Amino acid sequence: MPSDLTFWVQTFINCLGLGSLLLLIAIGLNIIYGINRIVNLAHGSLYALGAYFGYTLVVNGLNFFFALLLAPILVFGIGLILERSIIAPIRERPMLYTLILTYGVSILLDGLTKYLWGVQPRFISTPAFLSQTIHLGSIPYPFYRFFILIVTAAVMVALMLLLGRTKLGMTMRAASNIPEMVSVLGINMNLVHVVVFGLGCFLAGIGGVIAGPLLTVYPMMGSEMLISCFIVLVIGGLGSLKGAVIAALLVGSVQTLGYIFITDYAMVVVYVMMAIILSFMPRGILGEGKFE
Amino acid sequence: MERKSSAAKVHIFPWERPAILGILLLFLFLLPWILDNRFYLRLATEILIYGLLAMSLDVLLGYTGLLSFMHAAYMGIGAYTVGLYLRFVDPTASIWILILLGVGATVLIAFPIGWLQVRTGGFAFALLTIAFGMMLYTIVWKARNLTGGDDGLIGLPSPNANLGSLLLASCKDPTSIYFITLAVVVLCFCLTYRIMRSPFGAVLETIRENEERASFIGVHVHRYKLCGWMLACALAGVSGVLFTVMKCSVSPTVMDPGAGGAVLMMALLGGLGTLWGPFIGAAVFIFAQDYISTMTEHWMIFLGLFLIVLVLFIPKGIAGFRESLFPQKPE
Repeated sequence: MPSDLTFWVQTFINCLGLGSLLLLIAIGLNIIYGINRIVNLAHGSLYALGAYFGYTLVVNGLNFFFALLLAPILVFGIGLILERSIIAPIRERPMLYTLILTYGVSILLDGLTKYLWGVQPRFISTPAFLSQTIHLGSIPYPFYRFFILIVTAAVMVALMLLLGRTKLGMTMRAASNIPEMVSVLGINMNLVHVVVFGLGCFLAGIGGVIAGPLLTVYPMMGSEMLISCFIVLVIGGLGSLKGAVIAALLVGSVQTLGYIFITDYAMVVVYVMMAIILSFMPRGILGEGKFE
Repeated sequence: MERKSSAAKVHIFPWERPAILGILLLFLFLLPWILDNRFYLRLATEILIYGLLAMSLDVLLGYTGLLSFMHAAYMGIGAYTVGLYLRFVDPTASIWILILLGVGATVLIAFPIGWLQVRTGGFAFALLTIAFGMMLYTIVWKARNLTGGDDGLIGLPSPNANLGSLLLASCKDPTSIYFITLAVVVLCFCLTYRIMRSPFGAVLETIRENEERASFIGVHVHRYKLCGWMLACALAGVSGVLFTVMKCSVSPTVMDPGAGGAVLMMALLGGLGTLWGPFIGAAVFIFAQDYISTMTEHWMIFLGLFLIVLVLFIPKGIAGFRESLFPQKPE
């Protein structure tokens, strides 16, 4: 048993690591909801698909960093096809139908990954310098978890720049408020929807590849991640980006601590926390639909 | 609006509806003699049970407009309550007591969850049904000492169906299980049909059509949604009890996410907002599942494809075919 300080520092960084992974997946889901008004239930399966693509690329001798770039691009492509072929045609229908449709897509993709890669768990191997252990003072810590923090931070900064500083980001923010007005101004909303959906899928793909070496790659990983992300979204407020950041760290911490102290019922603690928060704030911490 | 147009519809035969109902009931009553194969009789019982479950989802989705992805979890509560009671408390319990217990436990657990869920919005409601459904599934799956974990409870005793001191049937042979299931399902169907045709049902439909306007005219939306949710969960609990009695065992697969998707699929396939549609959906689904799963183990791929095709091309389900076969003349 390591000393108390070592344990708590390691636990603290573990909490941050899981929280940032959750954030990476949840933020993609949130952007899609904020602009397209679609809750993409296939998001978890796309994340799993990203992990499996990453695994296949690395096994075939590709550098881990190339895989980190290439696998999300593949997922992005699949996202584009999904959006154009089946989600766009039913955009005008009630939201129940989009939920059921994306649920069908998720079952289909999960079935396909099981068919193509089998059910046995896989591992993505990383380059040597990522798998080394570093020392914080006297406390040993695997470097890979810091790498996850770095990637998440980089993605979040890039996203903030995209939303806040570019014309595309401005269009996206406007589209989340008044889509009709944006459309009247001569901006092709179909294009915006496709780009946003693809962006969300891209983020899910990145999440999948960086989760690969940390957690194992197995068929159920998508649905487990999706449920944690739902909790993040509902606690933070659907469509609220700041809320997602706070909620992701909260859920990540509670989940990590839960796994340490009461292994079997860790998720139950998370659900109870969600229930308590929602009974006081039914629309989440920061309220629904504040896209900022 | 829908109600008005269906009342104004001109029937081809004046006695069409009672005649169809009568023939159907007679057919269902004679089924054990028509099917001498016990396997098919068990399949028919399963169809009735899952039909009841899909109908209860129709109350929620087709009438109230609330989506539950894990409705099978509430069937699981009923099923496990009965299983645990038979195993640990009273192995000779009568089936009526079991039904009361199953519904009681389901209602008790569904109430706080429903209370929380209806306070959030439409999307969040659907997401929360997944979260809470998974929570129930995880608890059942992990509590190995009590529920047997993965294996579930197997080899449960069969309850008796008494009427006073008269023994109606013992749930040992498939035929009597079939008749008990049929009686309970028909009773539940009639009750739900009546409730949905009452002012209460009309209020639920109002909420489905426009929640905002419903609250403007003084409907307490949260309370009515909660009532719809409780009704749906109670019916799911009944189906769970019947399921345990039929199988003499329970396992966590009755309430896993795939089961939740299957129920949704049955309701959609049959047609929402009809109550009888989901029964047809359940029949088609269970036959298809039985057929396809003998050919390939990757049944989930087909389930996903079916769901996508359903939503894209036949959103009204099989019940909607009738309208396209006999289109109403526009006034």
